[in-house]
Amino acid sequence: MNRIRPFLVTLAALALLGAAWAQTRGGTLVAAWANPVGLDPHATSAYYSYQTLQQVLETLVDFDNEQNMVPKLAESWTVSDDGLTYTFNLRSDVQFSNGRGFTADDVKYTYDRLLDPDTASGNAWRLGAIDSIEVVDDYTVVFNLNTVNTGFLGKLASGSPVGIIARESVEDGTIDTAPVGTGPFKITDYQPGTVVMLERNEFYWGTDANGTQLPYLDALELRIIPDDSVKRSALVSGDVDWTITVPPQALAELDARDDVVVDRSAAPAYWYIGVNTERAPLDDVRVRQAISYAIDRGQITEAATFGTGVPTQDPIPSVSAWAFDYAPYEQNLAQAQALLEEAGVADGFDMLIMPTTEYEESIRAAQVIQAQLAPLGINVTLDTREWADWLDTQGQGNYDTFVCSWNVLLDPDDFFYAQHKTGEVFNFTGYTNPTVDDLLDRGRQETEFADRYAIYEQINREIVNDAVYIYLYNPGNIQAYAANVNGYTARGDQTIRFVSTYLD
Amino acid sequence: MSLRYLLQRLSTLLLVLFGVSVVAFSIQPLVPGSPARVRLGVQATEENVRILEEQMGLNRPLPVQYADWVGGIVLRGDFGDSLITRTSITDEIVRRLPATLALAGVALLIGLLIALPLGITSALKPGGKRDLSASVVSQIGVSIPDFWMGILLILLFAETLGWLPSSGYEPISEGFFAWGRHVLLPALTAGLISGSIMTRFVRSALLEVLGMDYVRTARAKGVGPRKVLTKHVLRNAAISIVTIIGLQMATLLSSVVVVEIIFAWPGLGSLALTSTLQRDYPVLQAALLMAAVAFTVINLLTDLSYVLLDPSIEYA
Repeated sequence: MNRIRPFLVTLAALALLGAAWAQTRGGTLVAAWANPVGLDPHATSAYYSYQTLQQVLETLVDFDNEQNMVPKLAESWTVSDDGLTYTFNLRSDVQFSNGRGFTADDVKYTYDRLLDPDTASGNAWRLGAIDSIEVVDDYTVVFNLNTVNTGFLGKLASGSPVGIIARESVEDGTIDTAPVGTGPFKITDYQPGTVVMLERNEFYWGTDANGTQLPYLDALELRIIPDDSVKRSALVSGDVDWTITVPPQALAELDARDDVVVDRSAAPAYWYIGVNTERAPLDDVRVRQAISYAIDRGQITEAATFGTGVPTQDPIPSVSAWAFDYAPYEQNLAQAQALLEEAGVADGFDMLIMPTTEYEESIRAAQVIQAQLAPLGINVTLDTREWADWLDTQGQGNYDTFVCSWNVLLDPDDFFYAQHKTGEVFNFTGYTNPTVDDLLDRGRQETEFADRYAIYEQINREIVNDAVYIYLYNPGNIQAYAANVNGYTARGDQTIRFVSTYLD
Repeated sequence: MSLRYLLQRLSTLLLVLFGVSVVAFSIQPLVPGSPARVRLGVQATEENVRILEEQMGLNRPLPVQYADWVGGIVLRGDFGDSLITRTSITDEIVRRLPATLALAGVALLIGLLIALPLGITSALKPGGKRDLSASVVSQIGVSIPDFWMGILLILLFAETLGWLPSSGYEPISEGFFAWGRHVLLPALTAGLISGSIMTRFVRSALLEVLGMDYVRTARAKGVGPRKVLTKHVLRNAAISIVTIIGLQMATLLSSVVVVEIIFAWPGLGSLALTSTLQRDYPVLQAALLMAAVAFTVINLLTDLSYVLLDPSIEYA
């Protein structure tokens, strides 16, 4: 035994050394992907498009795996005392994947295009605070804001929709098929609905701790496989190395396998029932509260996510530094009934709930909600619509309630402002509360964490009490991959990064 | 067969295509949802929807849009660009056509390999053991939904046995072997179902001929069973069988949507489905036109093959 031990130690050391060598270079990662809706970052709003573009485009600032703000294309930055001017010092060693050097002009070009009303970008709202952008010199760029917004840097870090693009890619039309960026990979072939092929960007500036140029992989093959159970089969049978989504029904089985890694992280996202506050009797806060008291979020989460989500009564996940964990609505049918009586609808009423075929979990959630509201005499009818129809109906405010989610929310402002401020474009519920409006603006101007926390805690309380969104659960971000895929982490912000990934 | 007949058939084809194009176009205002909203997602502002719809040309009067679209196809052979991905639709069709033809062709072949032997053996002794088992098998084949069959085949051949890839397509230019490995499972899924349907048609076509007087006469003359089958029965049943093959081919070309989705097969069926869901009208219209072309061309080929099969048929 004693004689064997040194041998084993040597073996282990050799194995470790082998692992260190293995991560040098090479290989193609084949991924089961989902269908991007176009690749121009300013023309799409689909998350699968963003996740494709995350391999190609980079932002000025970024979040690391622990959600700390870190430099990316900007080495450093300063903010003026009045909070209205941001000056970024850019890296001077960055080249686009076509070999041209990256400068401040590219930053200005990107955001001018994004914010141009003719671009009609679904992402312009993120950067609405920008008044103008000035190029000081090749590596210095100044953003002038029209209003103080503490969360502004976070918006610049919000992934590929705000990533820097090369002007020539717009001018020659490749922006729709192979947008040119400074990221670790470049797109070499895009066959809509079939595959996206990427190769290493040989001009990439990033290196690992040992000074080895990143990325390690030679290429990425993103195969678009529409059906989730087929994605699972492709992974299990070794046709793909990695899959973007996992059918929740298959998680237990995948967890038990040695050749597959299931990677989970809490997603900064929430599912909710959106309530039309302009329709009777839902315009009465007591009716909305009654619904919130009547539902069992645990059951809904179990049915919708097969237990991968976490039931919640307010939007921000408990793992966040901004969590408030405000939970006044323990399921209580007597309380719900009393509220309905107060509101004059003691016998219940008819109500539509609108899930979408695009997200099966919304249908499963709506079915459970339907059953849970029946004892109160609330006669719920499912108004299930396919995505294009759903978007149209919701946009026109033609609904009683709907089930949907908000994704990739980092600053507390992201959780509340666009959704709940009076007259804001994404305030689909018609909600208006002067106290909340005032607090939302103050939250943008305050810079100290403790002060901001107090403000958003109050906003959270108001919105949960008004039951304008009836929060259901925080979903998980789950990806699965073969055991030989290393250097990949499922990230809390749902971005996908293969820059340090390698195969062994 | 005269030139006049061919010209007549071609003009019918054009008429059909015109009809299909008008119908495909008129759906547009009747369907809720807009491609602008699909591109903008939940973050759509009314202002952006308006600007995008204008850029997409959707706010022009429908006849103007129609003329523009048809003009592009007739004058330049150009189906335009997708409203969602903004890539060329013609390129997309050209890329997907071989995949669809491969899937439908191999599926038909598999279907025939099932239908002909099963149909013939069961027709020869109706009510016998073989007939019974053939009808059980074809009944099962007809009843199994294609998505379920597809998943079962993937579980068996890709996951458990590891013989075939679970999904995806390789063009034949990548080598026959790679192409064949990929086409086999989806074609098997569509072919088993198609074969089950055709088995019943082959059987009833043969039974009908077997009951004819001339077959009885041939038998009475002492012609052997094999010769009766090949010389008298199959030749005369051929027209019905070719008709059903033609119909199945047309069906396979346009209706393998589910199989294409399951197997991530880049054919015209999945293109039609995606474009419908995304309200990508020009792509959908192009896919519908292609399906119409496939139907009419296959019908024409079927009709023409009658001449070869039955000398008494003549097209004037």
